[in-house]
Amino acid sequence: MYACLYSAGINHDHRGARSDRSENLLNAAGTASAAVHRGSLAVVAQQFSPRYESRGDLVVIDVRGLERLFGAPRAIGDELRRDAADRGLRVHVAIAGTQTAAIVLALARPGVTVAVPGGETAAIAPMSIDLLAKIDHDDAAVAAIAAFKRWGLKSFGEIAALPPDELSARLGQQGLRWHAIARGADVRPLVPDVEDERFESALELEWPIEGLEPLSFVLTRLLEPLSLGLEQRDRGVAVLHVELRLVTKNTHARRLELPAPMRDAKTLRTLALLDLEAHPPEAAIDRVAIVIDPTPGRVWQHTLFARPHPTPEQLSTLVARLGAAMGQDRIGAPVTVDSYRPGAFEMKPFATEHCHDRRGARSARSESSREISASAACAAVNRDVALRRCRQPVPARVAADANGRPIKVTTDRRGFAGGAVIRATGPWKTSGEWWTSGWDRDEWDVALSDGGAYRVFLDHATSRWFIDAILD
Amino acid sequence: MASLARADLESLLHTKNLARTLTRFEPGARPDLEYASTGHAGLDARLSGGIPRGQVSELVGRRSSGRTALMLRMLAAATARGELVALVDALDMLDVESAAAAGVDLDRLLWIRGFVVPNPGLCRDMNHRALVQAVRAFTLVLEAGNFGLVVFDAGEAPADAIRRLPFTTWLRLQRMVEGSSTACLLVGSDRMTRSPHGLSLQAPALRAAV
Repeated sequence: MYACLYSAGINHDHRGARSDRSENLLNAAGTASAAVHRGSLAVVAQQFSPRYESRGDLVVIDVRGLERLFGAPRAIGDELRRDAADRGLRVHVAIAGTQTAAIVLALARPGVTVAVPGGETAAIAPMSIDLLAKIDHDDAAVAAIAAFKRWGLKSFGEIAALPPDELSARLGQQGLRWHAIARGADVRPLVPDVEDERFESALELEWPIEGLEPLSFVLTRLLEPLSLGLEQRDRGVAVLHVELRLVTKNTHARRLELPAPMRDAKTLRTLALLDLEAHPPEAAIDRVAIVIDPTPGRVWQHTLFARPHPTPEQLSTLVARLGAAMGQDRIGAPVTVDSYRPGAFEMKPFATEHCHDRRGARSARSESSREISASAACAAVNRDVALRRCRQPVPARVAADANGRPIKVTTDRRGFAGGAVIRATGPWKTSGEWWTSGWDRDEWDVALSDGGAYRVFLDHATSRWFIDAILD
Repeated sequence: MASLARADLESLLHTKNLARTLTRFEPGARPDLEYASTGHAGLDARLSGGIPRGQVSELVGRRSSGRTALMLRMLAAATARGELVALVDALDMLDVESAAAAGVDLDRLLWIRGFVVPNPGLCRDMNHRALVQAVRAFTLVLEAGNFGLVVFDAGEAPADAIRRLPFTTWLRLQRMVEGSSTACLLVGSDRMTRSPHGLSLQAPALRAAV
């Protein structure tokens, strides 16, 4: 058995011949007032049952079992109306065996209305089909009402009398849905509102702690129950706040934005510790607090046809650990840039979620190859040779013939012995970014007698030779 | 006589539960191993399908022998299969444009750049600490698991720096990879290590490419 409360005082329609500014002010005031009304309706519902659902300007309450407290359904309705009146609300109350019938009756009739069990269809039969627009707030409902009116139908009872198969043939699945509503049948179960839960926990320490190892145990103790709560609510962590009150009375606060919603306590602890390792507190800690900004949990569908990827939790932890070990700027995914500058590249954070689909991979690859830079296009001509870049070009001594062609390359650097040039191709003249510290060079690919092949260049700005890369 | 001594030694290793360190050449694919294609049909045919997963393999070659091109081709083949790959670039020498040109899906490549040694050296003067850090990064990636291919590129690292690493480093790597679906590849100038069922690939010279 369900009860429905409808507050007729909530009105969104503030049309009138007013100036834009006053209309905006009135709309803002009306919206705020409507929100307060909805909140008050929810408070009324909470007094009677934990199972209630707010649907815009009405609330549906599961009142099964309340007979033992209040008596007959009408007494329940009277009690609901009285409680609402005490809070300054004028509400329509309807009680019926189905949610739909209760909603229709509450929308249509003031006061307290009770439908006898099994008589829901008959109770709502005389109601106008215009109410469908209040039950379904979409354009399809408006179009359907217009269609029903064209067919000469005016009441729920007339729709309920239509053969459902014929209605389905003309209006599709939505037609069957409206037919069920017209009969007072429920088209979906009650989805009870759940109060937003705050996910936070704190621990006062008897003795201040120093160092991360003892803090690890404290974080585990705080995070495990929070993780359990998140799992029960199907929530994940979007942002993890770690607040450490120090013995100096200062607060050391860290904020970790996670790349993907996660709730594994061990992962969260590891990420928090790695962050604190990089940003340690300046004094001993005497209070630890964790606050979590929740976000809807991640739905992850694994595939049977592809190898599993590392989970976002694993990748987040890995990236954090690598960042701590190597430095944040040393890890990521490489990105080509649209520049003729030799060896130009950028790095971006490594994504923690990747599609398994090979077609996705292919399309991503083709997308990235469309963005390939001009010099990469040159490199693509010979795919069997790759370069090993010397990020800092190695100074070299190059002897050249009368045409400027290198005939001998040597360096002082260990491992780059050099030798006579066996074969050379070039020069490729390249220059750019003259407006900054640009480059202007002649590049040669040379095979030396030491067995190596190198890309060397003559820098016109300094008239010096360098080894830029190894052909490998 | 020699075969008898070898049989005795193998028996002793079996007794001491050290038989996993035995390496024996057995032509053809092992049914208990999965193989990751190298992206080169001819090479795959020679290798019975590619490099084995769950094993440490090595790609060895002199400078300009084509080992980098082959390594990039393996990475490209893995990303084309939709797998995630990681490259521990001990000396930070990856040319991103070469990787893109080889067909590597860069979004799926986790690139870990080792430290470039400042003056006076670049490659041969790489210090020991940087190499140890790179190995640590490599173990972290292997611990995370589920990467399709993980490559440790120490191609230009001096042989003495590699030799200074404790031998247990390589044993630990083998243990970490064992039983996983990750293909693990070490790239270097000289041989480093490989699992009992891993491969040692010797890249030929590529001087004619210029």
